[in-house]
Amino acid sequence: MTQLTIAVAKGRLQAETLDLLTGMGLVFSSEALSSRQLAIEDGSGSYRLIFVKPADVPVYVEYGIADCGIVGRDVLLESSTDLLQPLSLNIGACRIVVAAKIDAQLNRLGMLRVATKYPRIAARHFGARGVAVDLIELSGSVELAPILGLADCIVDVVATGKTLEENGLRIVEVITDSAARLVVNRASYQLEAEALGQFIKSLEDTLRRRASDD
Amino acid sequence: MSGPLSKIPTGMRYYSGPEARLRRSIEDSLVSIFAGWSYEEITTPTIDYYALFEHGMGRSLAHHAFRFTDTDGSMLALRPDVTSLVARAAATLFAEVKRPLRLCYVAPVFRQQPQSHAEWRRESTQIGGELIGANSSAADMEVLAIVCEVLERLDLDRHCSITLNDVEVFNGIAEQLNLRPQARNEMRELVDTRNAADLERFLARYSSLEDSHSFAQLIQLSGKRNILSDARRLIANPRSQLALDRLESLWSAIESLQLADRFDIDLGDVSRLDYYTGLTFKIYVKGAGARVGSGGRYDGLTASFGRAEPAVGFVLELDALTDVLLDRASEPTLVASSSGETAQLRASNLSDLFRDAREKRTKAERIMINLSEAVQ
Repeated sequence: MTQLTIAVAKGRLQAETLDLLTGMGLVFSSEALSSRQLAIEDGSGSYRLIFVKPADVPVYVEYGIADCGIVGRDVLLESSTDLLQPLSLNIGACRIVVAAKIDAQLNRLGMLRVATKYPRIAARHFGARGVAVDLIELSGSVELAPILGLADCIVDVVATGKTLEENGLRIVEVITDSAARLVVNRASYQLEAEALGQFIKSLEDTLRRRASDD
Repeated sequence: MSGPLSKIPTGMRYYSGPEARLRRSIEDSLVSIFAGWSYEEITTPTIDYYALFEHGMGRSLAHHAFRFTDTDGSMLALRPDVTSLVARAAATLFAEVKRPLRLCYVAPVFRQQPQSHAEWRRESTQIGGELIGANSSAADMEVLAIVCEVLERLDLDRHCSITLNDVEVFNGIAEQLNLRPQARNEMRELVDTRNAADLERFLARYSSLEDSHSFAQLIQLSGKRNILSDARRLIANPRSQLALDRLESLWSAIESLQLADRFDIDLGDVSRLDYYTGLTFKIYVKGAGARVGSGGRYDGLTASFGRAEPAVGFVLELDALTDVLLDRASEPTLVASSSGETAQLRASNLSDLFRDAREKRTKAERIMINLSEAVQ
């Protein structure tokens, strides 16, 4: 029997992803879930989950180590990957925004200093508008940058907007919406067509059922 | 001499020992298969004008090449692709040679920027064949039959999928919807990534296509003949229908040769639409995370070198094939060279023609398909 390997993004999306998968009828023992194991199998043995950092999900899937993966669209926009994206999942909804201090006036005519964890998305966004930017790549607490004067604005992912608000920042512009997506390896898609087809269909059905329950 | 001199540039590597031996024997056995189908080997320049590749492959792909300038200031490139070079030779050097031309090559290609995570190599070796000057389903079937023989010889035929499509299916739909270039590209991307939900929303903006839901589902699945009959019901424009006819006739031949388990129809394969003009195919084998080969019909390419003529060809990635076979426990017995006279094959239908061809090839006979008399 074919076992499908699914790469799951750790962190923000992990709980919602597991919830969705159990909603599909996959069973995971509570021991496995509470352990620190990075790879677990479902009760039927048809699926193996591997837990990796969000940015690594496309890497595992592209190499075919995982047949498919669940990861935020923000991650996909930031990496250059060649993957199939058959389904948008309505979990992990957020927005990718430009934010600045509440009273800040952004001077787009000169050079904008932009702090971000998403340099490619930021470069593409300002590039399309002809705005010159100095991209400052940070790996966390990006909200601090405008407050301390490291940058004029930030490009970041916002779920509720609470962190921005608490730090005296406001959304200047929404770049795009983001939600989790199912990504699939191109070779697996052909070679494991049956198993993946079933998985995708059952995922779709679960999403539809949940949407009508809401 | 430690330090910088020990460092290997990203994406470059050595081969040695069993790996080098395996590479060589795969190469030899593939070249012998090509010889068995009457393909002549051709060696092309490693460095050529960047403009040639830009013209031949399209800008977005040629852009990945290593580029540098000649003494007169013109832009050169390390070849990122062999087909452009072969097509130019067909239109110039081989202009007077009788058609069809059958050419094959083994050659490293280079790219400066990898296109994705999995394509980390900046030098990779392609083994390819081009059949130039024949526009018939027999010519398309010939290259597919060679691919099948290659997979059989490498013992990869039981766990493979050769996906077939025809770019005119998509082009017909785009034309029917009267899409502007940007919208066409947007649709291409949605189809390519199998993003059915967004494709459905996209199609709904153009009310002229009914059944956008069913159509969006169609590109999400690959399958056998059933895909073609489903597609026929949903896609009414004549351009797409013609493409579906071509696929159907290929599929009938494939079925009667009992090769259907190796093939799938995949209407969602729409990469390189501007390059290919008819049949396209991709080759996947178990154990490789990405495709190990691809090909198709490119009737538009040679025109840009001054002589318009139909052509079909394919490449196999030697490095990817080696990786898969290295992981296997048993070393395959590969080389069996062809000998004796070349048998000229002709028949009134595709199935008989290629059944005969495959039989002779299992006996390692050298054959040549007579395409001028073959069924169209």
